[in-house]
Amino acid sequence: MKNILLLFLLSICFFSLATKNVYAADYGLSVTPPLLRVHIKPGKSITQVFTINNLSQGNQTLVARIVPFTEADDQGNPVLNPKSTAPWLGYFGLANSIIKFNEPFTVAAGATEQLILSLAVPDNAPLEDVYATLMISTYANSIDQGFQGAQLAATIGSNMLITISSAAFPDTILKIENFTPQANSLFKIGNLYFADSITPLTFTADVHNDGNFAAETKGVFRITQGNTPVYLEGILPVNVIGKSSRQLVNTDGQPFSFTPSLGQIGPHQITLEIKTDNSNTSNSITIVFLPLKLLIGLIVVVLIIIISVKITSVKPNHIPESGIDNQKQHL
Amino acid sequence: MTKKIKLDPKNIKYYLITFVFTVSVFTIFSSSTALADDLKSPAFEIQMSTINITGGDKSSASYKLSDTVGQTFQGQFNSAGYVILAGFQYINTLTPFTFKISNLAINFGSLVPGTPSLLSNTLSVTTGSAFGYSVKTIEDHPLQISNGSTTIADTACDLATPCLPTDANVWSDNTRYGFGYNMAGTDVDTTDFVNANYFRPFPVQNINNPVVVMSRSGIATSSAATVSYKLNIPGSQAAGTYQNSIQYIAIPSF
Repeated sequence: MKNILLLFLLSICFFSLATKNVYAADYGLSVTPPLLRVHIKPGKSITQVFTINNLSQGNQTLVARIVPFTEADDQGNPVLNPKSTAPWLGYFGLANSIIKFNEPFTVAAGATEQLILSLAVPDNAPLEDVYATLMISTYANSIDQGFQGAQLAATIGSNMLITISSAAFPDTILKIENFTPQANSLFKIGNLYFADSITPLTFTADVHNDGNFAAETKGVFRITQGNTPVYLEGILPVNVIGKSSRQLVNTDGQPFSFTPSLGQIGPHQITLEIKTDNSNTSNSITIVFLPLKLLIGLIVVVLIIIISVKITSVKPNHIPESGIDNQKQHL
Repeated sequence: MTKKIKLDPKNIKYYLITFVFTVSVFTIFSSSTALADDLKSPAFEIQMSTINITGGDKSSASYKLSDTVGQTFQGQFNSAGYVILAGFQYINTLTPFTFKISNLAINFGSLVPGTPSLLSNTLSVTTGSAFGYSVKTIEDHPLQISNGSTTIADTACDLATPCLPTDANVWSDNTRYGFGYNMAGTDVDTTDFVNANYFRPFPVQNINNPVVVMSRSGIATSSAATVSYKLNIPGSQAAGTYQNSIQYIAIPSF
């Protein structure tokens, strides 16, 4: 009996000591900054620290790499090209003593690590924009063979828009396109829009960068009647990479909107203006506001009143008493 | 003593026409242009990029601006040879971009033919100082035994409602086999994932491009979406352990 008890106690002690902390296989990572915009001359170099924080409960083995992109959607989401072998990838390096590109490194649970990115542009580098994403991915070189299903991997990124130029303000060519009002109570004749004067209107527009260098969409959405400003709203300043388009939105990230007042009747000029450091661009449309709904309402009211008056003014048909008597006699 | 005024019913039409005419004339001609005084103030001019006057939010009934206009960097660029802007100028705080996955191991264990197995996890994103983001996904290959010869195909959904990596559709028939996923939650395209019966197959590396599963144009403070993974095998499926790797890629907008 003693032996059994001793064996039991020994077993408990063994398993107690042998157990280690077990965490759910979660993932959490943050990166700062999410965007790096650099304007650099050939022959110069810079360093930028990217801070990553392991928010998961366990240690994370990660790999950092640079992935180029040349395209993006109209919301500013890059279309990554991981197979690209752009020659300018050699401009980038990591100044960390241990961490290197494409080699795994470990960040302890809850710990913070810094990636010291260096960018050295050679003297003979072509004057152009280069776009890339610093990607930090989870690293696993094997899957548990007893595991049936999907092993997930995660990647987080930070975008880099690099302008290599000798000029402080390289040429930018922005064009505002597809500038149109959106509303149900709206019609168009020629180049003129006609809209109801009390119905809210929204406006959508894109900006296309015909140039080779990224530009920022700083500007205003303006409504004027004659030369008098009626409404003004800022354009959200976002980056438009070369040879791409972006949707223009207001500073809340929403389409531009305008609710005319009852008195704002007649032609109004709706203008979008963008000013970069070395060029301006604008696009305008003209909308004639008319009290359409008000007039329709008045016409309906008048018609109802006229019909009501006509109905109430009709005299009821009276049957003569003599006629009733005749009918009674006949019966 | 009050005196009652009676309208002659014969003239009611003339009264109405006069009333309508008066209202119309008043509406059209008496309206004056509403001007906002602030538009003439110096603050009106600050929206353009390099005028070094002020910063911050401005608003009135007739205009709304938010700018971060600061010093022009021409001098700095000419002297140092570079200018670095980290983060977004129009978002005040440099808070980090964060991506979380609640569970990295989608382990179905033993499977019963004809009985779908369902597992789920949660993707969470905070944009911090970024203005928008997208999360894309791709798998390395369909679920397969380690020797690679036998696979469980990615779902094509129901026969009458076929789905694609970019187009979810109904998958409720238990005689339709494969592996797929459904999405629900914040920043998910609910026009595609209409309800819990709508599934997509994962795009396959080297065949398809990664597809967007979450996206937002604007600041996300606590966006979270649930991914439901569905696996259904036929009775003829060869015994073995089937595995693959699914990658989620979270990138902020620029």
